[in-house]
Amino acid sequence: MSQQLIIAISREFASGGREIAHMLAEKFQLNYYDRNLLDEIAEEKMGNIDRLRQFDEVPKRSFLSRTVRGISNSPEEIVANIQFEYLQKKAESGESFVIVGRCADEVLSEYSCLMKFFIFADEEAKIQRICQSRHVSEEEARNIMNRHDKHRRLYHNYYCCNQWGEAKGYDLTINATPLGIEETAEFLAAYVRKRRRDFHAGE
Amino acid sequence: MVAQITAIVIFIVMFILIITEKFEKHYITLACGLLTLVAVFGICMQDFGAMWDTINLKSIFTLEFWHTSGAESESGGIDWATILFLGGMMIMVEGMARVGFFNWLCRRIAKMVNYQTIPIFLAFMAMSFVLAMFIDSITVILFLASVTIELARLLKFNPVPMIMSEIFCANLGGSATMCGDPPNIIIGSNLHYSFMDFVKNTGVAALISFVFIALYFYLIMKKDLVSTGVSQEEIDKMPSPESFITDQKGFWVSLVIFICAVSLLVSHNATGLTVAFIGVLVALLTLITSGKHIPEVLKGVDYKTLLFFTGLFVVVGGLEKTGVLEIIANFISKICGDNYYLMVTIIVWVSGIASAFIDNIPFAATMVPIIKNLSAGNTSLLSTLAWSLAMGTDVGGSATPIGASANVVGTSAAAKAGHPIGWGEYCKKLAPATVIVMVISTIYICLRYVTHL
Repeated sequence: MSQQLIIAISREFASGGREIAHMLAEKFQLNYYDRNLLDEIAEEKMGNIDRLRQFDEVPKRSFLSRTVRGISNSPEEIVANIQFEYLQKKAESGESFVIVGRCADEVLSEYSCLMKFFIFADEEAKIQRICQSRHVSEEEARNIMNRHDKHRRLYHNYYCCNQWGEAKGYDLTINATPLGIEETAEFLAAYVRKRRRDFHAGE
Repeated sequence: MVAQITAIVIFIVMFILIITEKFEKHYITLACGLLTLVAVFGICMQDFGAMWDTINLKSIFTLEFWHTSGAESESGGIDWATILFLGGMMIMVEGMARVGFFNWLCRRIAKMVNYQTIPIFLAFMAMSFVLAMFIDSITVILFLASVTIELARLLKFNPVPMIMSEIFCANLGGSATMCGDPPNIIIGSNLHYSFMDFVKNTGVAALISFVFIALYFYLIMKKDLVSTGVSQEEIDKMPSPESFITDQKGFWVSLVIFICAVSLLVSHNATGLTVAFIGVLVALLTLITSGKHIPEVLKGVDYKTLLFFTGLFVVVGGLEKTGVLEIIANFISKICGDNYYLMVTIIVWVSGIASAFIDNIPFAATMVPIIKNLSAGNTSLLSTLAWSLAMGTDVGGSATPIGASANVVGTSAAAKAGHPIGWGEYCKKLAPATVIVMVISTIYICLRYVTHL
């Protein structure tokens, strides 16, 4: 009987997706991966963590890279592929974890233990969060939010068949504003428990 | 006029499609080549002779194609000699890679300098320069970069500066000979220059530049190449270079074929054997001696590049036959007048800057007929412009991460090893190096050739 559980969280910028992912990891006592995935990669490869972070979840800039004999030199694409391979290796080893972003909804889609959630939030709520955390005006907050979401969409849609944020690509898409972050996390946790019960009952 | 516009439109569309990478490059040039044959020659010009000349198949069945015998044939369109030579060399290089030759060579040199970082750095630069004179720069960098990354892990140093210096030296080494870089093969086979012609002209410029560049890289990179230290015990544990040879007999055979290829290239002016002949010969020798490994060797051949060349030559042939390139040549001639210093400077720097951003192969293929027109039968001027074009296109590509194939392969290998190289970091180190070599090349060409025109 498989006990493996992988939760993939995709999120709009400032929607609280990362906090929800953290809470789910704590509730189910799972490893949590986000940007820290690159720390592990850098350590294993003896690579340069600052350089790797610079290209983390950044959309490919086609005009600034070239492909020769099937080898692309786009640092954005290479860093993305390294992370995808790393995630697949982890999933293959049987590890359970929560992963934020990094196209995990599609990269790990072959695993039946994968649960995919997309977190979004009301625009006003997101702007307020950005204003508080970054101490910027509403105008600046809106620009930051739009820029990040645009990058995330481009990044996701380049590597995935499913469109970023489109409901049919996920098990659940949920607006975190009405329930708030903690209650949304609790709601998703209940969903996970229900799925796992049904999953094991069916075995 | 309609034919000229059609040829220009096809050429521009081809270039844009190549840059966007929406489709594989060989499909783009083959489709555009076919369109040139049908639309430019067939519909607009209704000149089937020009179409047949551009396909140029008949050249293969002439004696001059295989042995010059002092005679020179005038041909445009598909340069089958370049294609056969490239294909032959690819097969030979695949044969050498199969038996572990390059892995052995890199490790042998690292061992010779007792795995000391700075000596490895200098030795690998020199090796990159020398190997790229005879072997395509992609293969050189594929092997050098992977060994550099491995050594960097073992000896605990940052591989990025070393990989960047190897990339630059591979491009520089490629400029030294006729077979070092595809633009040189195109220039050499179209304008009938020999391997030794290149060595005596661009080779000297490349060697002078190499001395300056090795010093430049040493000065700017030495602080980044500090090894955090490994013990003699760890060094002793390194696998022996010989352990990377996968087939002892095949290793010696491939070495003999390589020496044979280099000897034939060096002496091809004296023997009269053309590059097409040499390419076919080394390919046959490699295949005959590969036995059951023939499929493995052939599988590694980059046939897409050969198809890319075929289509490209047809598109450039369209520009040539419709007189577009003559118009460009006349325009350059009008700007420069009799000022050959200005003409050389324009060729070196325009070629260099263009090659930094776009593929230097189509650029060189387009420029060869232009410099032919510019020289107007003056052989001294033609050779001066040819060396200017070769240095500009070969070296200019080093300036950016997308300028040349070696850059793409090298930066990709670094990124996969956890050391992604952005444009900023790359250009900060290699763009000044490119400018240094282009200044040296311009001064060299002006002093050595233009003063005697």
